[in-house]
Amino acid sequence: MAVAIDPTLLPELQRYGAFDVAACFNCGNCTAVCPLTDDDATFPRRIIRYAQVGMKAELLASKELWTCYYCGECSETCPRQAEPGEFMAAARRYAIASYDKTRLARTMYLQPVIGTAIAVMLAAVFAMFMYVAHGPQDGSTLALFKFIPSELIHSLGLAIMIVVGLAGLAGIVTMARRIARSEGVGWGTVFGGRAALGRSARALWIALGIESLGQRRYRKDCESVQEPVAWYRRRWLLHALTMWGFLGLFGATIADYGLELLGTKATGTPVPIWYPVRLLGTVAGAMLIFGTTMLILNRLQQANRSVRKSQSADWTLLLLLWLTGMSGFVLELALYLPQAPTWGYWVFLFHVAIAMELVLLAPFMKLAHVVYRPVALFFYALKPSTSAG
Amino acid sequence: MIEQRIDIDALVVGAGIAGLQSALDLADRGYSVLLVEREASIGGKMIALSKVFPTMDCASCITTPRMSSAAHHDNITTWTYTDVDSITPDGAAFTAKLTRKARYVDEDLCIGCRLCEYACPVELPHEFEGNMGARRAAYIPFGTAIPQKALIDIDGCVYCGKCEKACPTDAIDFGQKPVSVTVHARSVVIATGFETTPLDAKKEYQGGVAANVISALDMERLLSPNGPYGRVLRPSDGKIPDNVAYVQCAGSRDETLGVPYCSRVCCMYAIKQTMLLSGSLPLADITVYYMDIRAFGKGYEQFYQTARSMGINFVKAKVARIEEEPNGDLKLRVEIIEEDGRVSEMAHDLVVLSVGLKPGDDPRRFIGVDLDQYGFVASPEPKLDATLTSMPGVAAAGTAIGPKDIVDSIMEASAAATKVATYLGPPPNSPQPADDGVQIDIREIEAGDALAVAGHSEVLRG
Repeated sequence: MAVAIDPTLLPELQRYGAFDVAACFNCGNCTAVCPLTDDDATFPRRIIRYAQVGMKAELLASKELWTCYYCGECSETCPRQAEPGEFMAAARRYAIASYDKTRLARTMYLQPVIGTAIAVMLAAVFAMFMYVAHGPQDGSTLALFKFIPSELIHSLGLAIMIVVGLAGLAGIVTMARRIARSEGVGWGTVFGGRAALGRSARALWIALGIESLGQRRYRKDCESVQEPVAWYRRRWLLHALTMWGFLGLFGATIADYGLELLGTKATGTPVPIWYPVRLLGTVAGAMLIFGTTMLILNRLQQANRSVRKSQSADWTLLLLLWLTGMSGFVLELALYLPQAPTWGYWVFLFHVAIAMELVLLAPFMKLAHVVYRPVALFFYALKPSTSAG
Repeated sequence: MIEQRIDIDALVVGAGIAGLQSALDLADRGYSVLLVEREASIGGKMIALSKVFPTMDCASCITTPRMSSAAHHDNITTWTYTDVDSITPDGAAFTAKLTRKARYVDEDLCIGCRLCEYACPVELPHEFEGNMGARRAAYIPFGTAIPQKALIDIDGCVYCGKCEKACPTDAIDFGQKPVSVTVHARSVVIATGFETTPLDAKKEYQGGVAANVISALDMERLLSPNGPYGRVLRPSDGKIPDNVAYVQCAGSRDETLGVPYCSRVCCMYAIKQTMLLSGSLPLADITVYYMDIRAFGKGYEQFYQTARSMGINFVKAKVARIEEEPNGDLKLRVEIIEEDGRVSEMAHDLVVLSVGLKPGDDPRRFIGVDLDQYGFVASPEPKLDATLTSMPGVAAAGTAIGPKDIVDSIMEASAAATKVATYLGPPPNSPQPADDGVQIDIREIEAGDALAVAGHSEVLRG
């Protein structure tokens, strides 16, 4: 098969991160030192090789990009200090930008000033839009959903989710097609017959349940090579808390809307803290705040190899998550205050605008890994090489 | 402290093979040389080697003649166990402050009979044998040491006095003090040599933790006919190894160790050792994990090809991690680059780390010459005049300048001697050249002088 060589690949990749793979002399230390490398996924050297020689299609079809959790052991021990771990992170950013046909992700990554401006403006537009439609501010209790009608939030939220869903789907399809072709996976491999379906279901469970939600290899393998840190500062735990928190809040929001649709509880009805949906939201919010705060702290302190270099994209995501969590938390406090504080309404406006922006931008920023990683892990769990042989 | 003071033409710092060669070349031309060595014997690292590549000469057999030539040369004064504290320019010459460390044995009285050693009850790890054997606290450094004079390791000594009673010449002197000496030298040769990168430099390799991960210098001793065990056994349990691994670039070409340069000798010494191992362990499997094989010298590539044809297994891979099994065996994690790039865990029962070379001393401690960023002596003319230093009248030779093999060290030492001789001008009391152009006639050398010219007499005969 002919291999297309793109000489601009390496310089282009270098724009997505600070690494020096030109220094790499292909010794293979990174691959062998990696706790995640096995027969079905060898990296980073092979992926670095793709970059060095310009094999763009092969690089973008590598599920290995997403099986790496950047423990930094390869960068730590690289004899050339070529930063293979940072390379993998940059390649993931490049992949997110490449799978996105709108080129918005590319702008977000490569032009941080414009990217930040877009983010700020987007939040402002959401806020303005809702402000224009705002209702009265009740002075006795915080009647948030009278201030901004819940119908408005719901329909805006639905619209955003449809846009995001389409963008995400387009990215997944682009990526899955590339990986499937390079791995030799066809429709038949995934859906053809009972055995294939069973295998696919199992792979899906491993990808989504065990690895994504359970963080098995991140937890077991990647931590094994790290300098021991206090349990509450372990990378996998902070990541898991952030992820579970995010999913919990997302779930609580959807469920709350669902209760309204079912006619059980209208949005905005005061409920006690133990009310399941509210409890879920509160616990998830606490997890998100703790997780993101510690992750920000790790980055500020450059606490480990994987956070020694931070891109604006890393900060944008953490900041958006943190602001969403914190504003929600402040809101929760405001609800308990005896006199309804007027600032509560503005915090609410801010909270809704930021949360909407976070969701809308998801496919175009670092958060996109929530869809790309499970796709890669699915192909990894499918292991066509071993099942065929 | 007693003060002494002497004047000489050339002060050679370090009595390894480079220092010995510079000293001999200068002395043969009629210059007076003071050869100082911090260890208790001259001979440096080379005397500890088993055989040398690519000729497979026995290292002791070719080093000892040089050592004894220098030790017995009329124009060379050899001081072992002596530290150089400072060398400062003093007009056109240099003032050197030296400290002759206390051996606790009177060198003039000691006859090297070793009765003190036999009497001493203390056993300590033997540094010369890579700490694999034991020595006494009162000891002669090693079998072929020059001078054959005892010394007492006062830190390990229990002051039992048995050596004092055993000594037939009353040479033991516990009251001995270090002696400061001021030397006026007209020139200096820096030949401070190398040290190997530490065995535990790369923590992933378990060096210094796992008993069966040894350095290549340790293997030299295991392979030596007069080594610690007399044959190749692995340190943890004395088992005869049957699956030996060499880890190349274990101390070189690695930015994480601050040694980005190639140490130049590791490929060749590893190849040499694998050949010797095939001789002493004919049934053993031997694997060399390498990034690149650098066999650049005369006859070196052929040497490498010979090793390949002997069945030594060369695997292109950088070893990333070594893990110790409960039975002392080792697992090496590597990427098999030349096949499908899979990661493999290779099992071995003895692992030799091909450690790299770094400066043996910091010359800036005692002299103001410029060094390069890695601490080797820097020449202002690295291409045209490698033995030059930033100070007039000071030359350098051998691995003090940078990693190199024995062949190159000796050639460089001779070059340094030539540069110093040119700098010094004709030696004092130099014989006028005879009309026929022959300076020295071999037939005129007295029998007693024969030893003095052994090892370099072939130059005269030729």
